[in-house]
Amino acid sequence: MLATIAGKPSSSLYKHTMKLTRTYTINDLLEGCKAGDRKIQELLYRQTASKMLAVCMRYARDKMEAEDVLQMGYIKVFGKINEYRGDGSFEGWIRRVMVNTAIENYRKNLRSLSVVDIDEAYEQPSTGFDFSSLGMQDLMKVIQKLADGYRMVFNMYVIEGYSHREIAETLGITEGASKSQLSRARTILKEEITKMEGFGYATYTG
Amino acid sequence: MQPIQDRDFDQLFKDAFDGAEVKPSRDLWNDIESGIDAKKKRIMPVYWMAAAAVIVLATVSILMYRQGEEEPKFAVVKPTEQILTTETVTQKIIEPAKTTIEHQVKPVFVAQKETKAVVAKSSSVKSVTETPTQKVAIAESDAQTQEPVFAKVDDSKKDLNQKIEEIIQQQQETVIAANPAVLKTDVVVNTNPEPENKSIRNVGDVVNFIVNTVDKRKEKIIQFRTDDDDSSIASINIGPFKIGKRNKK
Repeated sequence: MLATIAGKPSSSLYKHTMKLTRTYTINDLLEGCKAGDRKIQELLYRQTASKMLAVCMRYARDKMEAEDVLQMGYIKVFGKINEYRGDGSFEGWIRRVMVNTAIENYRKNLRSLSVVDIDEAYEQPSTGFDFSSLGMQDLMKVIQKLADGYRMVFNMYVIEGYSHREIAETLGITEGASKSQLSRARTILKEEITKMEGFGYATYTG
Repeated sequence: MQPIQDRDFDQLFKDAFDGAEVKPSRDLWNDIESGIDAKKKRIMPVYWMAAAAVIVLATVSILMYRQGEEEPKFAVVKPTEQILTTETVTQKIIEPAKTTIEHQVKPVFVAQKETKAVVAKSSSVKSVTETPTQKVAIAESDAQTQEPVFAKVDDSKKDLNQKIEEIIQQQQETVIAANPAVLKTDVVVNTNPEPENKSIRNVGDVVNFIVNTVDKRKEKIIQFRTDDDDSSIASINIGPFKIGKRNKK
């Protein structure tokens, strides 16, 4: 198990593994969870919850909704733990369960897919962005403000790396819709970011 | 000043969210824990119910299959058997009874001839075997009023078998000597009551008892030999698959 984790060189993952080996190896956690050991399950939750909540937050409108998804996701993780065959990192598998749960949650309450048509004459901000002054939490805020459909497509394509075909299949839309929603999501995000206080025109360096 | 490329824009988001952590604002573990329990509880009965349903369906279909095979035989044979039994037994019993209490039986014969119906006959025979002193009066009343006798018949049918058995046992020698056919009816009467009276001493007895209650066929779905202490399977009868003989009594 450690070998498969190490096989994916990621600095954060490596740090994470080190953190785990201090208390329990990921093998211990995985085996304990497979055996239904409640204490080990709790340990796994405590070790991974913050990262997974960050994932769920991107797909939710607010923290409340994100925490609901997180909870459903962990119940699924512990219920389906025997389906994890050890291909890819355990954390990556948990993350995929969370993303799937978030998508499922979105599809379940498909709230009249509020794809607000944006004025085509919408001026594309031609600003150079300085993200150094923008924290992750700021970006989280603008993503959460996106209409649900845009948010899904943007997250799935940009962060999770789904193809447009996969997105179309998963969300039950056409590939064209996926593409256009992605591009509109980007446009809105750029606009929102430039609107942010102390940012945008005032801070561009180009 | 270049407008930012989509690829770069996306990369900025990827970097920002890589390894991002947000602390849950409330402790969700208890909710998750109860969620796991609820899921387990929900799943278990479903599996058990499915298993139970399969067993019940299998049992029912086997019984139906068996009944479909045997029902016509039973439907025809059983009632006639019943009537035959009572008829022959009444006749056979009356004969020995006649020899012992000849003078008292005669009025009964009169009554029988008048009422004709088999059931009525048997009811009058019952009264014969019951108390020789009352019998004449009842037999007379039988001749006069047939209606109440018919009404009584169903209730007394059970008792009748028992009484007949008693009489047969009491006068077995005479009966055997008089007519070997009675022996046959005796056997039929004896197989009817289930061997429930047998004390339950082991698991085999329990299974036998339950099977006897549920499965009324002559060849039960499963029977245990419980004579010895370690009860062994005496017979199995699952539709076309049969082994062993019926547990001997």
